[in-house]
Amino acid sequence: MRYFFIILIVLALTSCASKKEDSIKKEPEQTWKGKGFTYYPSGQLLPTNSGKGRFGDRYVYAPGIRFPLAYAPAYLNSQVYGIGGRYGPRGSLCDKRNYRYPWRDNFCEKRNRKRSMPLCPAGTGHQGVDIRAKDCKDNTHYAVAVEEGVITYIGSYSVKLRGITGRTYRYLHLNKRSLQVHRGQRVWRGQKIGRVSNNMGRTKTSIHLHFDIKQTIRFGNRSKSVYVPPYASLVNAYKRLLRGRP
Amino acid sequence: MRLLLITLLLISSLNAESGILDIEWPQIDPTHQKPSTPYPDVLTKGIKDTKLPVYIPSTYAYDKKMAIVADKNFYTISFFIDKAIVMIAGDKTFQETISPSDAKFDKVIKPSAVEFVEDEGIMSTDFNRHGVNYTLSIECDDYKTDTRCTKEEFLRNIYNRLIIVGGKK
Repeated sequence: MRYFFIILIVLALTSCASKKEDSIKKEPEQTWKGKGFTYYPSGQLLPTNSGKGRFGDRYVYAPGIRFPLAYAPAYLNSQVYGIGGRYGPRGSLCDKRNYRYPWRDNFCEKRNRKRSMPLCPAGTGHQGVDIRAKDCKDNTHYAVAVEEGVITYIGSYSVKLRGITGRTYRYLHLNKRSLQVHRGQRVWRGQKIGRVSNNMGRTKTSIHLHFDIKQTIRFGNRSKSVYVPPYASLVNAYKRLLRGRP
Repeated sequence: MRLLLITLLLISSLNAESGILDIEWPQIDPTHQKPSTPYPDVLTKGIKDTKLPVYIPSTYAYDKKMAIVADKNFYTISFFIDKAIVMIAGDKTFQETISPSDAKFDKVIKPSAVEFVEDEGIMSTDFNRHGVNYTLSIECDDYKTDTRCTKEEFLRNIYNRLIIVGGKK
């Protein structure tokens, strides 16, 4: 009789655990009161072969940053696995369905690269996130400084801002002629940097902003500079933008 | 429930303590201190307040068109070469702290070899010397066909020619 009860308890616990697994897999999008903003949790990538995200990590690595686009709405989702993307469903990159909530994290998304990404479960992946502006118009919507700091680098299609916290923020694909900053320029939080475009040197990409955050993590007397998940920081920043207090 | 647990564990592991890293200066080669020909003013003035070993590729040490952005805790130097930009940056600040035995961050803690990887069309490498974190990269106008950005040899060659040109103790 005792064994029967033990088996019963084990079965009940197993069933409970599998239900929890199911509920995680089917976790609904998060909603936010007002402005209709919805988003999937951090690390939940598209349910395809897009890789494994840092699921469950809601830690805000860059607290208090401003949202990197000047105004809402903006749409954080995959360029590569979304509609019209290289690995996504057929269609136009400017398809209206790419310009809708909910947001979907794409940090750690599988790319055709080998870079070590210590904070991605697979050890490799996309270093930042892709953000679409309000619409698919090229060279129209401004990216802005997320933190007070200094512009340390401008390349063919990348701009680096080192914030006063020591974090480095990278903005890719801004239209080079639209840049409002120069190397060594001090910028304040919210200052215009340049307009979102498809600039990737001579080769063009889709119209979006690639945004990433690099910071140094210390452990004992050692340290490593790594790309950190920006999603939770951006969700918070976007909510502040929608509230009118960016 | 599991999600909540993971979140709590992650939050408790990371500590948003920031500050300046302890760095260990190398035994500086006197030839780095006193080059046979003085370095250009743009370089010596640009890094006069920087308190970390300033590495640059020896190939470009006398390039007067280099662009420098620096203060006492970091520097970024860009060199403009034919249809590409080489950049080296050093930084001795940190923004987060974790325990050196934290298994949840084993990939961060684990020592890793220096790698040269192309991402977003930019070939780069991250490395740590003397406790300072450095990044070296090259960004090409044509990232798809320019072998300096598609193959690691060019950047590796630059990496092998890094020298210390200054920095205060």
